[in-house]
Amino acid sequence: MTAALELRGLCKSYPLREPGGWLPRYRQLPVVRDVDLTVERNSIVGLVGESGSGKTTTGMMALRLTQPTAGSVFVGGVDITSMDAAALKPFRARMQVVFQDSYSALDPMFTLAQIVAEPLHIHGLGTTREQTKTALDWLERVGLHRSYGSRYPHELSGGQRQRVAIARALVLRPDVLIADEPTSALDVSVKAQIINLLQDLQAEMGLSILFISHDLSVVRSLTDKVAVMFNGRIVEEAATEDIFTSAQHPYTRSLLQAIPVLNPRDRKDRVFRSREELEADIPRLSAADTGLTPADVPRLIPHGPGHRFEAIVQ
Amino acid sequence: MTDLTTIPSAAPDHRQRSPLHYAWRRLVANRAAVVGGAVLILLVLMAIFAPLITKSPPTAQDFLGEALAFPSATHWFGVDDLGRDFFSRIVYGARVSLSIGFSAAVFSVLIGIPLGALAGYYEGRTDWIVMRIIEIFSVVPPLLAAMLLGALVGGGFWMIVFIAGLFGWVQVCLLVRAQIKAFKEKEFVRAAQALGAGPGYIIRRHLIPNSVSPIIVGFVLAIPLAMMLEASLSFLGIGVAPPTPSWGQMINTGMSFMYFYWHLAVFPTLALAISVMATTLFGDGLRDALDPTMKGK
Amino acid sequence: MIPFILRRLISVSVTFVIVSILIFAMMHSIPGGPFDAGDMPLPPEVRATLNERYGLDQSLFTQYINYMSGVLRFDFGIPFQSPGETVLELLGRAWVPSLVLGGLGVLIGTPLGILLGIAAALRRNTWVDYLASAVATLGLTIPVFVTSMILILVFAVWLDWVPASGWGSPDKWILPIVAYATIPMATYARYTRSAMLDTLNKPFVTVLRAKGLSETRIIYQHVLRNSAIPMVTVFLPMFIGTATGSIFVEAIFRVPGLGAYFVSSIRTRDYPLEMALMLMLTVMFCLAYLISDILYAWLNPRIRAGGRKG
Repeated sequence: MTAALELRGLCKSYPLREPGGWLPRYRQLPVVRDVDLTVERNSIVGLVGESGSGKTTTGMMALRLTQPTAGSVFVGGVDITSMDAAALKPFRARMQVVFQDSYSALDPMFTLAQIVAEPLHIHGLGTTREQTKTALDWLERVGLHRSYGSRYPHELSGGQRQRVAIARALVLRPDVLIADEPTSALDVSVKAQIINLLQDLQAEMGLSILFISHDLSVVRSLTDKVAVMFNGRIVEEAATEDIFTSAQHPYTRSLLQAIPVLNPRDRKDRVFRSREELEADIPRLSAADTGLTPADVPRLIPHGPGHRFEAIVQ
Repeated sequence: MTDLTTIPSAAPDHRQRSPLHYAWRRLVANRAAVVGGAVLILLVLMAIFAPLITKSPPTAQDFLGEALAFPSATHWFGVDDLGRDFFSRIVYGARVSLSIGFSAAVFSVLIGIPLGALAGYYEGRTDWIVMRIIEIFSVVPPLLAAMLLGALVGGGFWMIVFIAGLFGWVQVCLLVRAQIKAFKEKEFVRAAQALGAGPGYIIRRHLIPNSVSPIIVGFVLAIPLAMMLEASLSFLGIGVAPPTPSWGQMINTGMSFMYFYWHLAVFPTLALAISVMATTLFGDGLRDALDPTMKGK
Repeated sequence: MIPFILRRLISVSVTFVIVSILIFAMMHSIPGGPFDAGDMPLPPEVRATLNERYGLDQSLFTQYINYMSGVLRFDFGIPFQSPGETVLELLGRAWVPSLVLGGLGVLIGTPLGILLGIAAALRRNTWVDYLASAVATLGLTIPVFVTSMILILVFAVWLDWVPASGWGSPDKWILPIVAYATIPMATYARYTRSAMLDTLNKPFVTVLRAKGLSETRIIYQHVLRNSAIPMVTVFLPMFIGTATGSIFVEAIFRVPGLGAYFVSSIRTRDYPLEMALMLMLTVMFCLAYLISDILYAWLNPRIRAGGRKG
């Protein structure tokens, strides 16, 4: 069955101007390097990593809000990487996004009903009255009273705004939802509400979700599969429980160690390492033991069903 | 775990204050701005109801017998050198100044918004071109260029409006450009892009409505600039043609009579000064009220 | 730094060329040449000869090229209204009054304004502050020619302390200089006040106070220096703008300066003079902005350290 969303070999580099000199000279700063990721239908995939690991950029490339420097994006099996705006528009309806900052994600000059109805308006679906009715239905579906329709974003709390953002993202019934740290700006109790909302909606609509986060504990309860990003590359990918119980890559392990631990007695064994150490610590496997071809560069090695991690084979 | 999602949201009870409310409070607290605004309203009313408050039309030379008379109970501002009631001339002059001021400001805004929006949204080369155009308009001393243009096309109301508008749009453009640049990166713009909205839609429906504050400020601050330009041109004789009353023109005439008939110089001068000041103070107050990042004064 | 300067120079030159073309075109589109109408109606053959002599019968493009090549050699031609000298000489003559009055106005107004601003910032929210702010606002919002009129009316007509107009003896200079001084004074008063208030509130000043430095020392050595950069960069354009003479001030006080000549050159369609004046002013403003930009970039320690601008 074709995956809902597939990323192949995605790369993104930004040109940085070198200071000084007469003519402008640029060097490329790679932000995302060769990312392969598949989100199957009706599943939730977590993409975790620290700030600056490239996970948000990957999400933006999947949405074609940022243009990949190299690689391809497939939606429902169709390559949308180089489509022009007109051809892309129907695919846009199949892929939506929820952002971290709910305040700037909603136009302060629009009422909530207008915000949720906007996707219908842009795609010309239904009369204005029908659009408004659908919008208000969705507001209720995400847990807000219908009368909120005439309110403005600044009148809501963060959690409520995020609900509106979710409603707006789902009103077109997309196949794929990219959630970029949707709960990172929320209080703990509200986090849980939003996560539950997403789970319910996903089950109901058969959505595929790419859930981008730096918070592993949130990811654990929500996702079916997790990919870990570091420095623009995916360093490990596995079913959620496998990541938490048998992580192979040292970076994944240090992320797990960083999860706050309640019991003081369990805290003692944690070790924190610097970034340089982490960057240098790539697992090395011997070609002889594993039967794989050696290479100088790290690559993703399979390790059991649906589990792979990055290593150098010597 | 209890199902937390279906907490039924009760209908909300009170409305929160909108940012506009706070802006209004700030504006009202600024005494200079309030006075300026009040004076401005007074001037506008005066201009609109001019026929009702003056006893004779501004071009009627009814009082030749009393030409150059000083202010008195019958002629509040006296009589000018051609026998016209000076008070009427001043009041009707307000019509000229204010209408030119407002029209030119509208014109400035009409030019400034699209250029600012394009420069702010597309950045890169488009921005560079717009900034070059702005630079061209900035290095030429506006008054001199206006004079040249004025001599070129002759006087006339709409010409002056056009010329004044031509020198006021830069400020509006810069304000709009800055606002759009700031808002372009906001997530609601990306969300709209993710929905497949084109740049035209985004600029029209999202960015420009969010730029209303700088547009209003730019508009109000363009008015005194236009009024000044008109007065200057009329002073030099290439603005509004006589006998239509214009304060600038009246100041020019007044200068010749200044030593003996002070009223011919004083009243138009004061009228112009007060109008420009009131509008500028009000505009500054608006800008400070609408921009919450204003530093403490 | 150097590449930055070069880039700005090129950009300014492009602007200048475009502006010169526009001005030239505009000037020549005003119907009627300098010899067509006026006091002495000339017979057509004489007019044709004169036009030919001054090259007015050639295409605009040719005229432009000829003119601009002359400009590069500082040859601005001969003014129609006084053929006995070159435009350059006339301008040199005319500039003196404008420079003296305008220059003195700025040179007097600036320090006054700064002092006013410092006083206002230090005595914040007292009557000193309110007075200074009021003066500054008035100076900026009341147009220069209105100020001039008021000055004349009060000091020359009413009080009769000083003569109202003319150019010659120094006592005639007083009023124009005061008129010219209002804008720099108001601008710097307002600017100094707000810049000082900003800096005075910064944490590093509290540290200095805690260290025990006297208030005066803090102000002069630290606060002013921090606020100085934008003030310095704004000075040059302002000086240029004022020293070239305000048309109004010169008209009102009957000063034979650049402004007055500009007005007369438009009236008499004196192309060489007009063109030279516009070009000169444009060049001066271009240069003024260029130097300010460079000065700002240079003074701004962030840029001096080699990073990018801003």
